[in-house]
Amino acid sequence: MKPDLKLILSVGSPLLLLIVWQAVTAFKLFPPEVLVSPTAVIAAFGEVITTGELQRHLSESLTRLAGGFTTGASLGLLFGLALALSKTVERVFGPTFQALRQVPVLAFIPMLILLLGIDEVFKIVIIAKAAFFPVALAAYDSVKGVPKSYFEVSSLYRAPWWVLISKILIPATIPNILAGVRLSLTRSWLVLVAAELIVADSGLGQMMEMGRQMFRLDIVMVGVIVAGVIGFALDRLFQLLQAHALRWKTA
Amino acid sequence: MTLKTLNLNAFKPVWLMGLIPPVLFLLWWDHEAVKGGANALAFVSLAQVGQALIDMFATGELGLSYGSSLGRALSGLLIGGGIGTLVGIAMGLSKPIEWAASPIYNSFRQVPILGWLPLIGLWFGSGDLSKLIIVALSAFYPTVLYTFEGLKQVEARLLDVARVYRLSGWQTFWRIQWPAALPSIFTGLFQALAFTWISTIGVELLFSSGAGLGAMMQQAQLQARLDIVLVCILFVGLTGFAINFLIKRLSQHVLSWRSIRA
Repeated sequence: MKPDLKLILSVGSPLLLLIVWQAVTAFKLFPPEVLVSPTAVIAAFGEVITTGELQRHLSESLTRLAGGFTTGASLGLLFGLALALSKTVERVFGPTFQALRQVPVLAFIPMLILLLGIDEVFKIVIIAKAAFFPVALAAYDSVKGVPKSYFEVSSLYRAPWWVLISKILIPATIPNILAGVRLSLTRSWLVLVAAELIVADSGLGQMMEMGRQMFRLDIVMVGVIVAGVIGFALDRLFQLLQAHALRWKTA
Repeated sequence: MTLKTLNLNAFKPVWLMGLIPPVLFLLWWDHEAVKGGANALAFVSLAQVGQALIDMFATGELGLSYGSSLGRALSGLLIGGGIGTLVGIAMGLSKPIEWAASPIYNSFRQVPILGWLPLIGLWFGSGDLSKLIIVALSAFYPTVLYTFEGLKQVEARLLDVARVYRLSGWQTFWRIQWPAALPSIFTGLFQALAFTWISTIGVELLFSSGAGLGAMMQQAQLQARLDIVLVCILFVGLTGFAINFLIKRLSQHVLSWRSIRA
């Protein structure tokens, strides 16, 4: 009986929400500028797909995300490793890194707009910055966290440096680094949507901002849903990748 | 000889090396600003930034913006964190509520927090109310999650004790589950604090009418006043630093309290 109740409740509650939403709009409790029905949102969804608007915005956003995220995450990885492995790098760049980490990425948007304009470069840089810090921090922390004894064992066996890296450092650090990459992917998506809302010239954020300015509630809702689904899909995809990369751990 | 090297090393001011990148960067920046040329409009000299800082202090503009941002973040934390804790408790104590609420919670949570802003803006305008809702929402998510998880992770043997003593539902909650979940609840609140600061700056950048550091930055950007923007970044960063520092200290305190009890 119990698992049945669970199924009923977990499927029923979102369903109930939809029904209430549809009912409220059917009885016209709110004017359509305030609340549109779920069916109107679906219709708007169909509209932006048939006009190709959604695909265009989405591909712009995702291309941007791919460029910014890959750049930021790989630079972050290299920087974090350098910071952890070299005392000199740590002394010279550590304090600056720690200081810049305290500033929320969004706060850099106005400065970057002034310095770089509102073109593609600006958006890539801001996403790269969002992706950089979590990965750099995870790489730094996890390499620092490798127990000394691992290094001792490797020197005891006179393992050459590539064995040290491939057999000890990478397996010991990869779970944490991947967790950092996952966090940075989520952050990149968040910052991308924010940047596109602020500099509304293209992408999913622009579609939502234009929808707001033209009082197209249905389009805005399509944007909210798509932003959520993409965010979820990216995270889930990365989780699968992570599980695949770490499958030796459980074995 | 060895003694001498040792002494030298002891006196080597290692931390000074950390100043190399920022000093070099500032020198280059100032040089670009003074030299003028293609980027002269964008770059401002350090003297200008300093002057902007003094002016903004003197006119009280900085204090006003800063106070209103901080107030927004804290009231968002209070509202969102309060409601979030209650929802988390309800989900943690009652399985049916957990089953009914978690699919909705999990699907709403997927939307990037600032992505809600156009929608909330249509409903509540682009004033303080919309901003507060988003900031409170950013505090709501982590508090629900950590309160819920904290209650779920209460050890079974503690609940057995409650059963043996025939504690009522309320007593079980107040004497056992709540204290056991408290460290996790605090962790959620700390995260919420960090999130509210970030989302405060975000909503103020997007809806830049009204007061606030983010609004001030955005307006300065439209007037190409990089000096003001930089002063704002400085204060946003310092506050971020203060929050992180506070979180670190407080969580040490919370965790030590737990280890004593354990």
